[in-house]
Amino acid sequence: MSKRNLPVGTRDEFGPETERKTQLTQLLQERFTQQGFHPIKTPVMEYRAVFDAMAPTPENAYQFLEETGETLVLRPDLTLPIARVMSTTGITPPTKWCYTGDVFRIKKRHSGGYNQITQSGVEIIGYQGLKAEWECLLLAAGICTELKLADVTIELSDASFVDTVLAQLPLANQDALKHALFNKDLTAYEQLLKHLPQSQLTAFLAAWPWLFGPADEVLAKLPDEPTIQASVADLRKTVAFLEANCPSLHLTIDLSSQSPQPYYTGLVFHGYRPDANDYLFSGGRYDRLLSSFQQTRQPAVGFSFDLDALAATLPQSPAVVPTLIYFTDTQWAQAQALAAKTPNASLCLTDSLAAAKRQAQGVGANLIDLSQEDAQ
Amino acid sequence: MTLKIALTKGRTEKQVLPLLAQAGMDVEPIRNKGRRLIFNDDPKYHTILAKGPDVLTYLNRGAMDIGIVGSDILDEQRNPQYDMLDLRTGRCRFVLASTANFDPGQTRRKIIATKYPNITQDYFATIGEDVEIIKIEGSVELAPLVGLADAIVDIVETGTTLRENHLQVFAELRPVSTHLVVNRLALKQKQVEIQTLIQNLQKAIQED
Repeated sequence: MSKRNLPVGTRDEFGPETERKTQLTQLLQERFTQQGFHPIKTPVMEYRAVFDAMAPTPENAYQFLEETGETLVLRPDLTLPIARVMSTTGITPPTKWCYTGDVFRIKKRHSGGYNQITQSGVEIIGYQGLKAEWECLLLAAGICTELKLADVTIELSDASFVDTVLAQLPLANQDALKHALFNKDLTAYEQLLKHLPQSQLTAFLAAWPWLFGPADEVLAKLPDEPTIQASVADLRKTVAFLEANCPSLHLTIDLSSQSPQPYYTGLVFHGYRPDANDYLFSGGRYDRLLSSFQQTRQPAVGFSFDLDALAATLPQSPAVVPTLIYFTDTQWAQAQALAAKTPNASLCLTDSLAAAKRQAQGVGANLIDLSQEDAQ
Repeated sequence: MTLKIALTKGRTEKQVLPLLAQAGMDVEPIRNKGRRLIFNDDPKYHTILAKGPDVLTYLNRGAMDIGIVGSDILDEQRNPQYDMLDLRTGRCRFVLASTANFDPGQTRRKIIATKYPNITQDYFATIGEDVEIIKIEGSVELAPLVGLADAIVDIVETGTTLRENHLQVFAELRPVSTHLVVNRLALKQKQVEIQTLIQNLQKAIQED
């Protein structure tokens, strides 16, 4: 490979998009710290075993060997390293963390995807109740409002719902039904249903792969079965909470999808826009998270924004005309002061006015010439 | 909202168009396409014609909402999107084939030529065998005839090509048919439209 080539799936970032991304990163971190979240930074590389709780085991991670022969990976996830910190440092929960960092997931070669993605998010560790989920949801919704993102849909689901329903069914091969449901393989799903006896769940099961959409409609479609109704109690409360506190959001519920990682245990949520190709943010409750590192469970809720998706969905700001400030060696203080108060200004470091003029013309900039004042 | 459909051009296209017509789509522009590859006259459906593997690439990037593509390509490419419906057209099957003197029990490590290395690997993994795979881009039947490989894994519809090349089927691997695949996020964004199309297609399949 030539030294002029980038590895497949990587890119250099600069220009307006990168400026947007940098501003977003700052804004998000500011909001998080204002709410009492503490910044945490973990290494870009970790032992592979840290990510054992991910599915599938990080086959799509960049892997290499430490000199001892131990396998290292570039982190494919930012939540598990924080779980590692919690279980090895003796920090007493409850704690609230916020972070920004890159995750690395190898996508199919030459498919147009990038392998290095920036995430910015929070983790709330040590709170059992729904208040932790709600703080995350309000934070995410608040940031979308602040960014003037219209048409944001928040999709809620519950990681335990599918297993709760499956436990009600007289079914030997639950995994096959689950697989067909999660992959929305309607052909296989309908075949599997034929083996089930008629029950009060029959109509519900037939419609189950389509059990997503506007929150009220989905909740109304659930059967009057006490176990199933009990399992969506938190969802109902969260819908009511969001309707009261974020009336401009579209609220949907999905009760037929797989949770994003096997360590999720409760409420799961995503945010998206109608024209976006990726979720803007994702998160949920994962009380089993720390059990990958220690014996005891620890309640945890978190979410992160996909900064690349978020930056892509923001409207392009109109192009601004830059200003260049030409000055002499004795005018540094004056030039710096002027640059600080002039929008989109930067010091022009050429040694002659003629060169400064050429540069300004070349990039279409306004030129402020301080050197004339010096001469007077 | 407009549904964006990527349809595998060629044989799949011809076999699927009657179903799409039954499901309520106006397929006349595609039937009389000339050299056109993109059809966006109908505000309900925008359609593009693409090669099978590319259908998935468009779908994975979110450039298209729905893909219509053979299950051979879905399996080979390890499709990550929702494989929602078997359209029950384009039916054929994967087979292991070779010349009459091929011995499936041979002790030497077999060399298998195929356009589908992942499917080939999956098959031999299920029977606990390790083989060497040579990727061929087309006319795979040639490989055992000229001694490049011991056998081939390929798609067979009627078996005519195999017979013409004096090849026999030694094992049946898996069936193939045309499937409807949906981008995961598009299913959420365009639920009503996609559900309607799928239900119409399900009816059309049953009537067939």
